[in-house]
Amino acid sequence: MKALVIDISKCNGCYNCQIACKDEHCGNDWMPYAKPQPDTGQFWLKMVEEERGTVPKVRVTYTPTLCMHCDEAPCIPACRLKAIYKRDDGIVIIDPEKCNGCGDCVAECPYGAIYLNEDLSVAQKCTMCAHLLDRGWKEPRCVDACPTGALQFGEEDELKGLISKAEVLHPEFETKPRVYYIGLPGRFVAGAVYDSEEDKCLEGATAILTDTDTGEKFTLKTDNYGDFWFEDMKGEHTYSMKIEKAGYSPSEIKDICTKKDVNIGDIELCRKS
Amino acid sequence: MAEKEKGSTVNEAEKTLIRDISFCGVPENGSNASMVDVKDGKIIRIRPMHYDWKYDAKKDMNPWKIEARGKTFEPSMKTLIPPYSIAYKQRVYSPARILYPMMRVDFDPNGNRNPQNRGVSKYKRISWDRALDIITSEMNRIKEKYGPTAVLYQSDQHGENKVVQADHGAGRKLLRLWGGFTQQNRQPDSWEGWWWGSKHFWGCEPVGQGKQSNLLYDISKNTELLLFWGCDQETTPWGWGGQLPSRLSYWWTELGIKQIYVCPDLNYAAAVHADKWISVLPNTDAALYLAITYHWFKKGTYDKEYLKTHAVGVEKYEAYVMGEEDGVPKTPEWAAPITGVPSRVIKALAEEWASKRTTVVIGNGGPGIRGPYATEPARLQGICLAMQGLGKPGANQAKMIEWGLFDKPDQYAQPKPLRVPYLRKAYTGGHPDETNHPSFIPKTYVPKAILEGECDWWGCECETANRRDQFVHYKYPANGCSKIHMVWTDSPSWITCWNSGNDYVRAMRHPDIEFMFAQHPWLENDCLMADIILPVNTKLEEDDIGADIFSGQYNLLFPEHKCVEPLGESYSDYEIVCKIAERLGLLGEYTGGKSIDDLIKYGWETSRCEDLISWEELNEKGYYVVPTSDDWEDVPAGFYNFYKDPENYPLSTPSGKLEFEAIGLLEHFPLDLERPPVPKWVAKGISHEETIGTERSKEYTLLVCSNHPRWGVHSQHDDMAWLREIGTCKVKGPDGYLYHPVWLHPSEAEKRGIRQGDIVSIYNDRGTVLGGAYITERVMPGVLYIDHGAKWDPIVPGEIDRGGAINTIVPRNTTSKNAVGHAVSGFLVEVEKTDLEELKREYPQPFKRKFHLAAGTILESFVNL
Repeated sequence: MKALVIDISKCNGCYNCQIACKDEHCGNDWMPYAKPQPDTGQFWLKMVEEERGTVPKVRVTYTPTLCMHCDEAPCIPACRLKAIYKRDDGIVIIDPEKCNGCGDCVAECPYGAIYLNEDLSVAQKCTMCAHLLDRGWKEPRCVDACPTGALQFGEEDELKGLISKAEVLHPEFETKPRVYYIGLPGRFVAGAVYDSEEDKCLEGATAILTDTDTGEKFTLKTDNYGDFWFEDMKGEHTYSMKIEKAGYSPSEIKDICTKKDVNIGDIELCRKS
Repeated sequence: MAEKEKGSTVNEAEKTLIRDISFCGVPENGSNASMVDVKDGKIIRIRPMHYDWKYDAKKDMNPWKIEARGKTFEPSMKTLIPPYSIAYKQRVYSPARILYPMMRVDFDPNGNRNPQNRGVSKYKRISWDRALDIITSEMNRIKEKYGPTAVLYQSDQHGENKVVQADHGAGRKLLRLWGGFTQQNRQPDSWEGWWWGSKHFWGCEPVGQGKQSNLLYDISKNTELLLFWGCDQETTPWGWGGQLPSRLSYWWTELGIKQIYVCPDLNYAAAVHADKWISVLPNTDAALYLAITYHWFKKGTYDKEYLKTHAVGVEKYEAYVMGEEDGVPKTPEWAAPITGVPSRVIKALAEEWASKRTTVVIGNGGPGIRGPYATEPARLQGICLAMQGLGKPGANQAKMIEWGLFDKPDQYAQPKPLRVPYLRKAYTGGHPDETNHPSFIPKTYVPKAILEGECDWWGCECETANRRDQFVHYKYPANGCSKIHMVWTDSPSWITCWNSGNDYVRAMRHPDIEFMFAQHPWLENDCLMADIILPVNTKLEEDDIGADIFSGQYNLLFPEHKCVEPLGESYSDYEIVCKIAERLGLLGEYTGGKSIDDLIKYGWETSRCEDLISWEELNEKGYYVVPTSDDWEDVPAGFYNFYKDPENYPLSTPSGKLEFEAIGLLEHFPLDLERPPVPKWVAKGISHEETIGTERSKEYTLLVCSNHPRWGVHSQHDDMAWLREIGTCKVKGPDGYLYHPVWLHPSEAEKRGIRQGDIVSIYNDRGTVLGGAYITERVMPGVLYIDHGAKWDPIVPGEIDRGGAINTIVPRNTTSKNAVGHAVSGFLVEVEKTDLEELKREYPQPFKRKFHLAAGTILESFVNL
């Protein structure tokens, strides 16, 4: 059975995948797999952009999202006309012939992957380019177009190694997706330490981040710009931070909340008198 | 993937055709080889080309790999085309396509011409016969009255990459046969600072950018720090070569090479690759470089011995930097308020640069090019490299774009191919190295020439002119030549691409311009000023020959077969020039008796690959992949030869060395305060007052950062619906119109009561441009960021634009007094929230103009249908 593995750490945000999907399905009729997608408004593969942090500690994370072709897809039982089916290779298809465009599946999909085409009275979504796979293509358009290898597609068995390192989006939906993600980032907590009297960035200061609830500690040393980046902090937590360096009075910051990425900003350390 | 089949057009199997879908518009700069699948006369899909479709990689391609630091990098077996190549059918089938010849409704060549209405008048359909009649009778009339140099031919890039069906300049040969013309010389763009500045520092003809040979290998092996300074390798290279730079950037991180990005905006490369972003105010980088060198002089942390043998004029430069010349030492503390970079960060950067093998990476962006006085930061960047031993392993200036530019071996950053396919001989268009003495005008001077009737300048006899040409004085009108009275354009993108587009609008409305005609596939930009518009095909509707040279992976040569029949009554640019030639009785001379098919085969004959693949096999397989050269690893990298042996490998400067005080400038322009012999921080001068702290900055408080656009190449691609749905491409207004995004830091937006999605007016004393607010942390405070190249959609031509064409209000003056580059980034504006309803009440007509919800302005917007 097929699986798709997406490595976020290699996604450059070029949108080739989103565009290639449109190129394949807008204006092209692939009955019995799919009717044409409207020129705009649907995103069978949707690139999600997240801007993180504040000047100058900013990054952008790109996450391609699509139908997860779930093994326990809620759209299948939701369809009164039994128009949605799962193939032997794991791909989930909405049969445009049987579908009457009622839209029940649209509401039922927790990933928001299904769109209603009112003009054609059908519900539509990613078909994993099954029409191409069935004629011998090795991979769907999105994977073919990806320049960095962030998208990989194939037999689950062959992708076992990657899948073992991966996770799914929203595991709490419990739908058993066939689309896996590597490198979904946690939050960062960053800042820059300096000595204003000597007008220099403080290298080698110690930044200690303490989880206010669990007491767990994370420690980093600042680099030559006085920068520290605590990377990949999972979950939403509250921390306090202590910055210390020999010869300086330490600095403490409280209530650092990782609901969003945090740039604490410039932190001044003063020499001990 | 079905083989190409002959047979009926109904229900045939899909055919796969190979096309170059890149956008430089110069024959030896082809790239982005793509596979176009067609069926039943329609384009089904466009996808990456697979090199190993008909060839065995191991046996036929001599595949390369870079081995460095225990890791291996291999190119992909597919081309790495960008999104607008994949989506290109949207340009072929665009609702903005010009489908038949058109004429301005209020233009009567035998009566009232109404030049003052250009840009406002609508169009009506006319026949090809009528169009050609008017064009040729106008040409003859004007030649009779003023002489042939009264015709200005705008015939330069960028655009689709076409060879035999050349989209730019096919008319030059015809006009020469006809008796002459005035050539608009595209003054070198995207290279300004290096062309007008760095050439006086380190030579490196013809562009002035550093030697590139084998730098991808050198960086991988030797570099410890990459400073991306004027480079967005995730954006700019797309249209010229695709996405190999992206893959390399990830790999260099994997090798442990630190990446620092110095730019006002967290550009698209910085967004995913940066280990550190140093935000700097637009066009203040000269001050930053000066401060870095101050720190090095003070601490002695630079290669003194190298400078003794490889440079001249260092003492003069040091005197300026240390404050001996003007009493102002260029310290980090001096630079901090100018640049917005804290002095402690400047010092840390200086120290890191001095302690590590550092390569500066450029991408035809940033202050090296598009700002006022760009010659200064460009030269200063070179000076910094020189002070750290330019050319030693790992320390060069690397470019992420235009690999193999102008067929020059020292521009091959990638592993050298066995042969470089060369299509120049079959090319029917105008080439950047063509001069047209005595009658030419640098593109930046066209509005001035027309509006003032005369002008003079230095240099720019062509885009590849030697440094010495910059000391030659030219004027318009040239001796014995006419003023301009007619304009013929095959590159109608002046308004949104060059300096002060509003001046160009005024120039085209000048009564001196008795006739203007344009040939173009889409009704956009300068076309709206033309009296007659001729419909051109996209290249997917034409046969041609192509080569993929710029991508950096493998070179390709391939015949290009028409994918679909021409839309409407469109023809290729070359075919249109042939039509005009025929009317002028010059067809035989013009074509030399060669048909298009003849020329295509001639392209293969003269491609340098004709001994490697026969014409029959080339057509049977559909393409040829050039194998890698066996000895590519041995090519000396960048400036290495000069570094090792400056006496035997001199630079092409007067001294043969790195000139901290430029000898040529000292001789010819000793008193030029804007481009002095020793590069300086120039806050303002007679050409520009565009920095914070000047009088103008009291009223216009923000600095514009305007880059090569993300979702298009210059003025191209701005009507593609699938791109315009992307948040960083367009911002939807309350009126459903897709406005051009204007990035503002939250603090700047809040000051002005602007929120995400608001329609705003960007303005200065040159006009107003509307946009959609995009509030982001990806720009530092003090900056207004807007991509250049948006489609012009005038509310009042010459004054107010709705489309977001920022170039309508950029400085009209060139790089500096004696350097005629354009200065289109790093200038002052103000921005305010706009009351769209009030604007609509004041200007009802333009707001009534039809627009396509997805594509923007289209044919219907300007034509009485």
